[in-house]
Order: sequence, then C-alpha cells, then structure tokens
Amino acid sequence: MNGRERWRSYRWQLITGEPLDPPLQMALDEVLTRRVGTGARAPTLRFWEWSAPAVVIGRFQSLRNEVDLEEAARHGITVVRRITGGGAMLTEPGRVITYSIYAPPELVAGMSFQESYAFLDAWVVEALRSLGIDAWYQPINDITSAQGKIGGAAQARRYGAVLHHTTMAYDIDPEKVPRVIRIGREKLSDKGIPSAARRVAPLRQQTNLPRETIQEHLIRTFADRHGLEEGSLHPDEIEEARELARTKFSSWEWTAILP
Amino acid sequence: MHGEYKTPGGKLVRVDLEVVDGRLHRVQVSGDFFLEPPEALDVIAGALEGVPADASEEELARRIAEALARLGDDVHLLGFSPDAVARAARRAVS
Repeated sequence: MNGRERWRSYRWQLITGEPLDPPLQMALDEVLTRRVGTGARAPTLRFWEWSAPAVVIGRFQSLRNEVDLEEAARHGITVVRRITGGGAMLTEPGRVITYSIYAPPELVAGMSFQESYAFLDAWVVEALRSLGIDAWYQPINDITSAQGKIGGAAQARRYGAVLHHTTMAYDIDPEKVPRVIRIGREKLSDKGIPSAARRVAPLRQQTNLPRETIQEHLIRTFADRHGLEEGSLHPDEIEEARELARTKFSSWEWTAILP
Repeated sequence: MHGEYKTPGGKLVRVDLEVVDGRLHRVQVSGDFFLEPPEALDVIAGALEGVPADASEEELARRIAEALARLGDDVHLLGFSPDAVARAARRAVS
C-alpha cells in the first residue's frame, strides 16, 4: 500500500472550534489519543485555537532549565507540559497554527519514527508549497523553508495510537521568545546546520495572508489528499479533558515532573 | 552540576547531578529528545545513580545501554543515544 492509500483507508474526522486554555489543550490531546486507540473515535485531525498565551515544554524537558518562570508569570504566560517529547515553544492566540493528528499505529507501520514525522506532515509541506513557499521537511521534526524555520512536530506512541502534533509560527514576536525560553549555548553549537536554517520565518511574513486563510488552505489540502469529514468533540470527551486538565495538566506535580 | 551535549543533527541532552562520596547522585536527564515509553527516562537516569564519578564515558554509556536493553525491544530513542547521555554526564562532572 502506498502512502496515499494508507491515509485513504480511514474516514478522517475534522475538529475545529472554540479557543481553549493551555491545560485543556494538553488534556484534549491525551483524551483523543486514547479514544482513537480504543476505536471509540475515528482517526482525527484537530486544529487548535488558543485562548491564552503559553509556553509548552516537552515531556522530557527540565522546567527550570528551559523556562524563566518569573518572566513567564510577568507576561501572563501559562507554562504547561505536553505528553510528547521535543522542545519548548511559545504560543500566543492568533500567532501560531497548531494541529494534532490522532491515528492508528497502522498508518505508519513499517516506518522508522523519523520517517513517520515527514510522512505525517507531507500534506502540510504540499499545502505550503502551493502557497508559494519554498518549504520542505527537515529531519527529525521541522518544517522549514528557504527563508527559515516555520514549525516543528512532536509525536507520542501511546494508548494504542499515534499522536502527532505540529505548531507553525504565523506571527511570532521574536523579542519575546528568548525572554521566557532559555536557549543554551550547546543547543546553538550544531555546526552541521547553517544558522539560517534555525531562523524562524513566520507564515504571515512569507505569505501576507490572514491566518484563517492559511488554515483553511491546509484543511482543504488534507481533504483533497486524504479525505476529511466534518466532526466535533463529543460532550463526554470535553468533560474527560476538563477533569484531566484539572487533575494533571494544571498540576505542579506534572508540570515539574522534571524540575 | 550540569552538563549538556547536542547530538549533531539530533537533540540536546542535559544532565544535572551531584557527586556524593565520589559517586553520581540525584541524576536528572532531560532534553528536547523523543523517547518511548516515557518511563524509560527513569531507567536512563537510574543507570547512572551511584556510579563512580570517575567512570569513563564508555562505561556510563554501557550502563545506560544495558539498563535499556533490559526493558525489551519496545524502547525507542530518537535524536539522542546512551552515548549522548554519557557525554553530557561526563561534562557535568568535569
């Protein structure tokens, strides 16, 4: 089965909707991954709307090593930890495009983890290219372009499913990021990668298009390639996520699991 | 004490630890890497706990690799390796 046939063997559901707060976003990713893992929900593509700014750190990052908590608090930025690995990022309402794919493991069966990143974001690279951006996938997990990095993905293989989520910069405030996220010197020491490849090139700067237009174009590209039906969150999924946001993703115990 | 190592083309590993009576203690391994299952991180850090602080990088890497091997086939490291953790740990000590 080739790549496109793999995608086409599912009836993909689309979720878009109301802005949600950062802990609830984290919780919803876990709940929906579980639902797809048990078969209670069809494979799903979800586009996020953020109701508040957040620093989202990776599952394996040390809180204090990565985030200046005082600066974050001063700027009214919530710090949350997601269930996937990868690096810290700053998200602000209207300034990023974030989506999650919740898929059965069979979608990426036989691929290395590294191959699966590029595979699961191939429709995005296609969509960006058709907007005139010279975009490509930069292993392990970056969507980049001639002008600079656009976004990054992270995965978890858990609860019988694959969670793959990606955040792309639409209109990032470049001054703010280094104030709240610590970037070590060692991180910048990778001589194999030209510094330009690490420069962030937000989509607004590259397209002059409204965020909504780009998001609609992404959704249309997914629908054309893989098929997509309008879906929605079930009330019990939201309820479960609210509980998990309260008990886990808002808790210091989880956020500081690696202090 | 703190040490870092970034695998070329991969991810950053940070190791925080203390040396007590010549042995590694309170080892924390963190970074922007990917790891399945997530609980394997405790096994990686645990493999360095109590190890003599003058152990070589190769020795540290071997202990991590052996501890991970005991978890079975379903452990996946992406963007880092036992060698990378060992190098960050050596840098923390020295």
